[in-house]
Amino acid sequence: MTALPDVVKAEQSLGSRIAGVLGGTLVRIFLIVIGLFWLLPSFGLLMSSLRDREDINSSGWWTVFTAPSQLTFSNYDALLSNDALMDSLVTTLLITVPSTLLVVVIGSLAAYAFAWMDFPGRDWCFLAVVALLVVPVQVALIPISSLFDNLGIYQSLFSVILFHTAFGLPFAVFLLRNFFAEIPRELLEAARLDGASEVRLFTRVVMPLGGPAIAALGIFQFLWVWNDFLVAFIFADPGSPPTTVAIQQQARQFDNNIDVIASGAFISLIIPLVVFFAFQRQFVSGVMAGAVK
Amino acid sequence: MRSTGNARKRVRTAAAAAAVLSLALGAAGCGDDDSGGGGNGKGGGQEETVKLPKLDGQSIQVAGTWTGPEQKSFKVVLDEFSKRTGAEVKFVPTGDNVAGFVGTKQAGGAPPDVVFAPQVGVLQEFVEKGWAKPVNSAVQKELKQNFVQGWQDLGAVDGKQYGVYYKAANKSLVWYNTNAFEQAGVQEPKTWDDFIKTAQTISDSGVAPVSVGGADGWTLTDWFENIYLSQAGPEKYDQLAKHEIKWTDPSVKDALTTLGELFGEDSLMLGGKNTALKTPFPDSITKAFTPPDAPKAAMVFEGDFVASFIGDTKAEVGKDAKLFPFPAVGNESPVVSGGDAAVILKDNKASQAFLTFLASPDAAKIWAERGGFASPNKNLKISTYPNDVQKTIAEALIQAGNDFRFDMSDQAPAAFGGTKGAGEWKALQDFLKDPKDVAGAQKQLETDAAKAYK
Amino acid sequence: MTSAVKPSGKPAKSVMGTRRWVAMLFLLPAAVLLLAIVAYPIIYSIIRSFFDQSGDSFVAFDNFQALFTDEDNLTAIKNNVIWVIVAPSVCTALGLIFAVLTERVSFGAAFKMVIFMPMAISMLAAGVIFSLVYQQDPERGVANAVVTGIHDTFSESSAWPGARPRPNDDVLAGPQKGPYTTKDTVSAGSPALLPLVAVKPQDLETAKPATEPKAASGGGISGTVWVDFKPGGGGKLGAIDSGEKALKGIKVEAVKDGKTVASATTGDDGTFTLPKEADGAKLALPASNFGEKYNGVDWLGPSLITPAIIASYVWMWAGFAMVLIAAGLASIPRELLEAARVDGANELQVFRRVTVPLLAPVLVVVLVTLMINVLKIFDLVWVISPGANLKDANVLAVQLYLLGFGTDTDQGMASAIAVVLLLLVIPVMIVNIRRLRRETRR
Repeated sequence: MTALPDVVKAEQSLGSRIAGVLGGTLVRIFLIVIGLFWLLPSFGLLMSSLRDREDINSSGWWTVFTAPSQLTFSNYDALLSNDALMDSLVTTLLITVPSTLLVVVIGSLAAYAFAWMDFPGRDWCFLAVVALLVVPVQVALIPISSLFDNLGIYQSLFSVILFHTAFGLPFAVFLLRNFFAEIPRELLEAARLDGASEVRLFTRVVMPLGGPAIAALGIFQFLWVWNDFLVAFIFADPGSPPTTVAIQQQARQFDNNIDVIASGAFISLIIPLVVFFAFQRQFVSGVMAGAVK
Repeated sequence: MRSTGNARKRVRTAAAAAAVLSLALGAAGCGDDDSGGGGNGKGGGQEETVKLPKLDGQSIQVAGTWTGPEQKSFKVVLDEFSKRTGAEVKFVPTGDNVAGFVGTKQAGGAPPDVVFAPQVGVLQEFVEKGWAKPVNSAVQKELKQNFVQGWQDLGAVDGKQYGVYYKAANKSLVWYNTNAFEQAGVQEPKTWDDFIKTAQTISDSGVAPVSVGGADGWTLTDWFENIYLSQAGPEKYDQLAKHEIKWTDPSVKDALTTLGELFGEDSLMLGGKNTALKTPFPDSITKAFTPPDAPKAAMVFEGDFVASFIGDTKAEVGKDAKLFPFPAVGNESPVVSGGDAAVILKDNKASQAFLTFLASPDAAKIWAERGGFASPNKNLKISTYPNDVQKTIAEALIQAGNDFRFDMSDQAPAAFGGTKGAGEWKALQDFLKDPKDVAGAQKQLETDAAKAYK
Repeated sequence: MTSAVKPSGKPAKSVMGTRRWVAMLFLLPAAVLLLAIVAYPIIYSIIRSFFDQSGDSFVAFDNFQALFTDEDNLTAIKNNVIWVIVAPSVCTALGLIFAVLTERVSFGAAFKMVIFMPMAISMLAAGVIFSLVYQQDPERGVANAVVTGIHDTFSESSAWPGARPRPNDDVLAGPQKGPYTTKDTVSAGSPALLPLVAVKPQDLETAKPATEPKAASGGGISGTVWVDFKPGGGGKLGAIDSGEKALKGIKVEAVKDGKTVASATTGDDGTFTLPKEADGAKLALPASNFGEKYNGVDWLGPSLITPAIIASYVWMWAGFAMVLIAAGLASIPRELLEAARVDGANELQVFRRVTVPLLAPVLVVVLVTLMINVLKIFDLVWVISPGANLKDANVLAVQLYLLGFGTDTDQGMASAIAVVLLLLVIPVMIVNIRRLRRETRR
């Protein structure tokens, strides 16, 4: 009566252990296969970018395994002398950096006001901002292009930056307001008692304490703007577009100059990847905060 | 607006061709007398046939679609103008959408002084909107001297001259793989019947004779236009382009029947009609030249811009890839053309002088020597061109005299001649699907045309 | 935008005596931008959607009606529905599987990084990546290389794809792609010469020269199958000239009254011998000799293009689902799972009965977030679709662009699409606001 269940139990655990080991191996193999499968497309792009265009047009990138002599940096050399693409990298920076900074600064200001200042209609205003979180950018394309046209800034750097900043704000305000609200009241009061002005309070206490959230927001906005195609496609100056649009222009222009496109695309994704690996934690926390446009 | 995305793309592609063509040929070392590697325009000792005013201290902006090496070539032309007149010239790239570019700049009150319109429709649009300014008598004199009436007329609206066609495209060329021709033991055909016979022999040799990029409807309209122009003649061509005769006209029937001799025979097209319908234009070229010595197909038809696509393969233009004029269906080989016309947007002394310069053989010569360029200027010597391929392209253009015609589908309303999956593009794709149904295709074309030409 | 709205903390009272104008000053820049660039377009679009193409005359709901009748718009709507249903669920399902499986694997973190990485890449670059993957030619596109590779291991390819008799040949005739049959019957004593053409020169590099058939003994039939095309041209039709190559491995059947009475296969020199039963029969070369090579799947053709682009989206966004779900998993109390195990539930049951219900809120958040994201999909479709098939892959955002900025613009219609997009996100907007107000009232 007492022994029997024990035996059964032992058998069960043995059986499940074997199953567990087998299953574990299977799971590992499955995951490795999936992982490789996931890497395959990007790897294909990398390999394609390292072959010259005659090779790309005559065979697949996997032939590099049998004929590694195909590999060459000539596309990247050509890229360096391709003014259109090199200029576009600068343009991308000129759009991305200001848009990120503006969102962080303007967003923090508003978020601080929502979190710690008292004014009539505060809650309603904040609700409105939250409502704007889900507005698709597409809705704004036509009205804003004609608005900007009337202002004479359509298809300029400025118009892209303004658009990105505006559409980054709802999320920025939402994220930062929640973060700032968590700052211990005593800290702010103490500073206030020391005679700090509202501005000083903001720059010396709130901003430093908000570091992690601001970092997450900054990374997120940076990647979003860097990777944007549609907004730049419509609002950027077609004469000096950012990288995503420049690559697209190359594609439509020559149709099959995949050598330029592949190497250009690869360069364009290096920066986001570096940012991603360097600030992985912040990026993930940005994503976790629901930041997905 | 007449210009369409695709027509623009075509022009754009044509533009891209130039440099690659000249590069490919330069690399091939075609053994021409011009020993200057890369052809860096030997501006110094140019003979001057045209007198230009002194314009020191003035500056103009010139806008065009050209990018990359093409832009470089054009900048040499600009430099020569600066050197002769003392005026400063700045080149501004317009991007694909020239009309859009000019529209925005015009709205902002700062249009470029001169812009290159890549199509007749765009030029006419500029005139209609009052943006374009007529040329002065010096330009007109130069035009009369150097251009046949046809090219002059294309730059005129309501009897007033606005445009100078500086650069022309030739869209009546058949490019072929020399290795495939050699293997099959065939020669360049001169007439359509020869062409079909040659194709049959090539097919027997184990290589598909013609690669058709039927996924892009405009390649099919170009097939039709070439056959029609050669078979029915320029007058009928003009009438059909203006829809003064109907698509149910017997002349259309004849042209489609002729085209059916190719489209109806699966063994004459790479993979038969089903593959042709799925093949995008760039792929149709790659297939004829990859690998150069054992291609899937032997011939591909389209304009001079095919050269840039051949540049993307391992084939060498001039050695593996050569061309012959579109075979004559009627008495003469057709010449379907296109071109970039310079138009003045700001009327001043410098921009008028610039157009005078562009209309002269001097300006044409600079780019012609560099390759990847054909000029409609009849006084430019054919020997100026750096190689045989370029010479063939330019010679056909000049020899056509007034009988060349602009692309018919570009002249048609966009809904008919320039829209994916609609109008002429779609009707001809349906015809490729079922080449026996000539009457059905005609009916469809006429229905669509009647709707669009309103 | 978000659906994972998790407001925390009550809005605090002002830190002592902030003056109102200071608050206004802090809010001003954000307010101006939000009102001018995010809020104003909503109103503009709604109004504009009730006007016609030129914007001059009021057409009430005509644009919306056209939206659901015009063929292009309908395709866009249909595809958008497919996108919104398929892409988020596949991403979430994969994310769930990956999150659960990686929990107890040593290299889980590395795996997660690999899956998550595509999220950092622009949709444009992803589009470029996948247009390479989907290239039609199996020698260039990896997807078709794999498909044809698998196909060819399971089915044998024919010996001489595409070979055929000359048109109007004297000897052989038959429908396209075979079988090709002799016009006349064969008889013992007179060898059969069966000429074919249209064989790729490179396929013939190792072929032997064709030889004249030797007379067969015992009343049999002999013959040669060869390529009757002399490289470089020339040569006599129907005769074996020097330089013409033999076709080996071709199956030759002797057919009498529709029945195959004998068959043989050609040797290296192209010759074959049939037994005497074949006397008086017609010779047939079955179609199996000439079948064309399998060329892979038409990924970006009209029928598969939307699923193919969705796959590229899944590649990008499965990592997003995985990370969120993994975080959700980590917050499930271990004790609950252990308790279930102790109660005798196996792993699958634990997963289905305990894990999934506990994860439900996270799964919903992931699904809804992805749905909103997918609703606006533009870049991938724009970049991957070959021009000719853009209409088949069309989605609302692309259609909006084409109508708003393309060649035949109709801003009234485009605005109507914008309004529809907006209507579709309003439920999420309301849920977000409700949740926030609940939190703040607490």
